[in-house]
Amino acid sequence: MGRSVGTASRPGVTDRLTEGLARAALPLGALATAAVLLVVFYYPVGTVLIEALVTDGRLDAAPVRDVLSSPFYFGAATGLVTDPLGVPAGIRDWARAGFPAVGFGLVGFTVYQAVLSTVASLLLGLPGAYLIAKFEFPGRETLRALTMLPFVLPSIMVAIGFVAMFGDRGTFNALLSALGLPTISLIYTLPLIIIAHAFYNAPLVTRLVAAAWENVDARMVESARSLGASPGRAFVDVVVPQLLPAALTGALLTFLFTFMSFPIVLALGGLELATVEVWLYARVQHLDLAQAAGLAVVETVITLGITYAYVRYESGGTGLARLGTGIDREPLLATLRDPRRIGLLAYGLVVLVVFVGPIASMIIESLTGPSGLTLRYYSFLVQRQIEGASFQVKPVAAVTNSVVFAVGTLALAMPMGVLIAILSTREFVGSRLTEAVLMAPLAVSGIVVGLGLLQGLVFGTDVFGHRLTATGPIAIVAAHAVAAYPFVTRNVVPMLRSVDERLLESARSLGASRFRVLVDVELPLVLPGLLAGAAFAFAISIGEFDSTVILAEGSASYTMPVAVERYLGNRTLGPATAMGTVLLAVTALSFLVIDRMGGRYEP
Amino acid sequence: MNRREFLVASLGTGTAALAGCTGGPEGTTTTAGTTTDPYAGTLHVATYEPFIDAPSVSPGTWIKDRFEEEYPDATLEWLTPENELNHFVQRKQAGVTIDADVYVGVNPDELVRVDAQLDDSLFDVVPTADLTNYDAIEDDLRFDPRDRAIPFDTGYISLVYDDTVVDGPATFDDLLTEEYADTLLVQNAQNSDPGRAFLLWTIANRGEEEYLEYWQGLMDNGATVLGDWNATYTAYQNGERPMVVSYSTDQVYANRYDQEMDRHQIAFLDDQGYATPEGMARFAGTDAPELATAFLDFMLSAEVQSEIPVRNVMFPATTHASPPGEFTEFAHRPPETVIHTYEDLEGSLDGWVEAWAQQVVQG
Repeated sequence: MGRSVGTASRPGVTDRLTEGLARAALPLGALATAAVLLVVFYYPVGTVLIEALVTDGRLDAAPVRDVLSSPFYFGAATGLVTDPLGVPAGIRDWARAGFPAVGFGLVGFTVYQAVLSTVASLLLGLPGAYLIAKFEFPGRETLRALTMLPFVLPSIMVAIGFVAMFGDRGTFNALLSALGLPTISLIYTLPLIIIAHAFYNAPLVTRLVAAAWENVDARMVESARSLGASPGRAFVDVVVPQLLPAALTGALLTFLFTFMSFPIVLALGGLELATVEVWLYARVQHLDLAQAAGLAVVETVITLGITYAYVRYESGGTGLARLGTGIDREPLLATLRDPRRIGLLAYGLVVLVVFVGPIASMIIESLTGPSGLTLRYYSFLVQRQIEGASFQVKPVAAVTNSVVFAVGTLALAMPMGVLIAILSTREFVGSRLTEAVLMAPLAVSGIVVGLGLLQGLVFGTDVFGHRLTATGPIAIVAAHAVAAYPFVTRNVVPMLRSVDERLLESARSLGASRFRVLVDVELPLVLPGLLAGAAFAFAISIGEFDSTVILAEGSASYTMPVAVERYLGNRTLGPATAMGTVLLAVTALSFLVIDRMGGRYEP
Repeated sequence: MNRREFLVASLGTGTAALAGCTGGPEGTTTTAGTTTDPYAGTLHVATYEPFIDAPSVSPGTWIKDRFEEEYPDATLEWLTPENELNHFVQRKQAGVTIDADVYVGVNPDELVRVDAQLDDSLFDVVPTADLTNYDAIEDDLRFDPRDRAIPFDTGYISLVYDDTVVDGPATFDDLLTEEYADTLLVQNAQNSDPGRAFLLWTIANRGEEEYLEYWQGLMDNGATVLGDWNATYTAYQNGERPMVVSYSTDQVYANRYDQEMDRHQIAFLDDQGYATPEGMARFAGTDAPELATAFLDFMLSAEVQSEIPVRNVMFPATTHASPPGEFTEFAHRPPETVIHTYEDLEGSLDGWVEAWAQQVVQG
């Protein structure tokens, strides 16, 4: 952007002032970030979780103990809490009985399905990253920009799309029987939930890993090759270590999301495949807040524990020297007599079925009436816009709000995320724990955050006799930013860690301030991560539902996903799917714009 | 500060109730000794969101317009907090003021739950002598023994089935037979009203001791419990299963949307249907009690009651309504109505639902 050139040639008072400001920027930013986090996250969530630990003013954690000792939640593992001394004997008896199947309760099942979903998302996401990073083909940039689309779709839309695509009467089975293949009954089974989880999360893996892959220094691979390494060897020794942090970030995010998955589970699998979050929601609905908090604490300990383990692992990775030369991409369509390209072709077919299928089904639904093709659901949107009462949700307002909130989220979450990324790469006592705690917005259930926002911000807090409340657009943007910055951070940290220290030292020895080094050297080097982070932050804001409806005042602050839910009519999916299609179009366009703008700064 | 407000409010409630008993709640408002028109000002009416903002039908706009015609000095403002009734329970628990006068759409199980949550009632007792249409309410729908919630409409839970795939089941036992294997879609009783009503129906039918065994049979026979009504109905419309728990007014929609009637047949198991009355209630401490009462009476008037079947596609709660032919032709009333009383539900509801949900999950 040429900023460095202009200022470097003109030393003076203004420059020293700028330098001073720049020096103060980090601590000031940290302070502001801490304030935002405290108000829209830690305090609200604290008001909920405290109920699990304190009963009638006494610290006894009874609700937590109730959960831990309940066979319904933990199955065989409850013995660890209720009778720890009996565990060896229990295991002995189990071995003697010939290792019969053991249930680990609701929590056990929730972990199980999350692990399977994570594996599926990696399997489905990694080839996409390979395709985007290593091959050149028409529409590659567009495809990369659009990878995150599934991530923003409201669960209602995904459920509609999935039933239409994968139901016993769905398109997929119609295709199978047209090809003379046996049909498969997937609906209301665990495999379909896992596919739906992969639908949401594989794009996330693709985006993260593709960003890392594009940052791999081509010359390192070349040197490895020229030193006699086979292509496979060079890949394993040079490329894989640089992709691993990103792939693991993708795995972590997927695990956290699917561990706390809930509407999609109930819509596609039913209560028999319930997760912990389903129970948490029922507790909150029945206002058994102590029990809900007990469950939430257990859930958070698991998710935060995994985040901590991940952060510890990630920080152990060594900084690989990298000078930021892009990799050479092969033309995709050069030949078809190549096992890799045949594999990618097969992958393309899977993508068509898993991603394009449900989305297309949803769009078709919006264009199909009882008697064939129709535009009536779109004219409903127009009519609602023109004639809707003031208390009803209008499409244009929903679109505008969504975009404004998302831009606001970007503006707030990018600096927050980068700042926390910088903090995360500093070493101090308890730095890893701090880093994990700063990732907490990822690890705490959306239901708990929503409840906390309601109690803490909407109802407000008494401060010196005044009731302070915080609702409306600014609160919504702040809440979105808090949900979004961890994605920016997680995209940037691995790249920041891989920046060559010597490069920074030489910049500093040439007289650049710490801040200058950050802005002029470090940030450009992590640009692919920033760009991916921006796409994530935007997607999080667009897709957010829970805190938006809680913090919105009346129908004035409603967003596109809220409109989708509102337009779900009795016995007709038309208006909701039409609004869902609008959401899809607006989001796709936004992603393209972000990518274009970000792309201009690419080295 | 808030504590005192509640104290005053509940004292007021007591007197109003007493006055109601002696039969003469003539007293115009005495609160500040003012003589302002009690039927002027803004009435804040809270309700669930589809009541005012559903793309198919929602009575909200019509009710607001008609009410404001009837009371020209009044303005009706709709509120739809995301957590519906819980929003107000939580506000009351947190000691935060409640900014609504009336709630529309409280059902019996919600009322029981709300009462269990709060020491002081969220709603006050309606001076029923002030309701000119009170006597028109159908007796078996009066679900609140203390007359805080006044029913304004009702649905009947039944099965909706696709006659081109299955024959209509006649009894609860039929659902356990081979013929109905893998046919039924039910909603999660933990958070869906029709799902909970269906569960309560099975409890009424089988008894508290036997209902779990019946459900074991249902699940073994391939019934599927999905999250909410929309999820089940979408799956039903896509032909994934040929039966779904829904309302007996289903054919009114099928007729409106030109759908095949064969695919929208109604089955009343054991010739019963479970009643799901919706009530309206005044928030304790409302600063517009007269206007609120006037609104309740307006909702019970023959005109509104005749319009509810059209715009909310529910049965009127009164005997003096005359719904249009479209409704009377296609909305089916069960031969026998089943409903749990307030006393039945009190103290039992949560336990029933929790035991049921745990059993479904553990299979």
